[in-house]
Amino acid sequence: MRVLKWTAIGLLAILAIAFGVGCYFMGSPRDLYGFLRYALPQWHRGDLRVGNPAPDARLIALDGQSSFYLHERIGARPLVLIFGSYT
Amino acid sequence: MYNDYKDRADFLAVYIREAHPLDEWQMKKNVDENVCYPQPTTLTQRIAIANDFTQRFHFPLPLGIDPMSNLADHLYAGWPERLYVIDESGKIVYRGGIGPFNYHPAEVRAWLEKRFPEVHVEVHDEVHAAD
Repeated sequence: MRVLKWTAIGLLAILAIAFGVGCYFMGSPRDLYGFLRYALPQWHRGDLRVGNPAPDARLIALDGQSSFYLHERIGARPLVLIFGSYT
Repeated sequence: MYNDYKDRADFLAVYIREAHPLDEWQMKKNVDENVCYPQPTTLTQRIAIANDFTQRFHFPLPLGIDPMSNLADHLYAGWPERLYVIDESGKIVYRGGIGPFNYHPAEVRAWLEKRFPEVHVEVHDEVHAAD
């Protein structure tokens, strides 16, 4: 019984330290939650590697009316692709 | 980087699903800067936010918007931000890590410098690839 008690206390202490360290690095408990909920599952997403052919995808132009394929932009010169959003 | 190499390489920004919309993981910095949008549920909403972004920052790069299927994001694992370089044969020659922790425009610049050694530029600390 005593071993069980100290094991539980030890685990709680480890969890508390991990929570504290996580909050420190992420900025707040809310950001730690956001990281665990939204970012961590994405961490190992995608299996593209250097040397693989670039996949094609249709993209919409800013006017919302026209579209183009990513492959249309490949060929003449190296292409730097920047993925991102506003927020 | 764009200004330094736009005569030798093409640049394309791919606008994908929001990283920190107000109904998901909103960042304080975005609140402070009044960049508050819910995650778009329609293409019209996504296009509108992309236009807000380009207009606010006078974004100079060509930009394409990922449709609501999020196919480009899915294929390239682009969320929340990531950099690639594709050579003329269509092969990936640089794949950056997942941002923001492993988002390093300086690595793209290094690739471009190696590929185009004739370009001499003054290197600045780069935060965004479009700088």
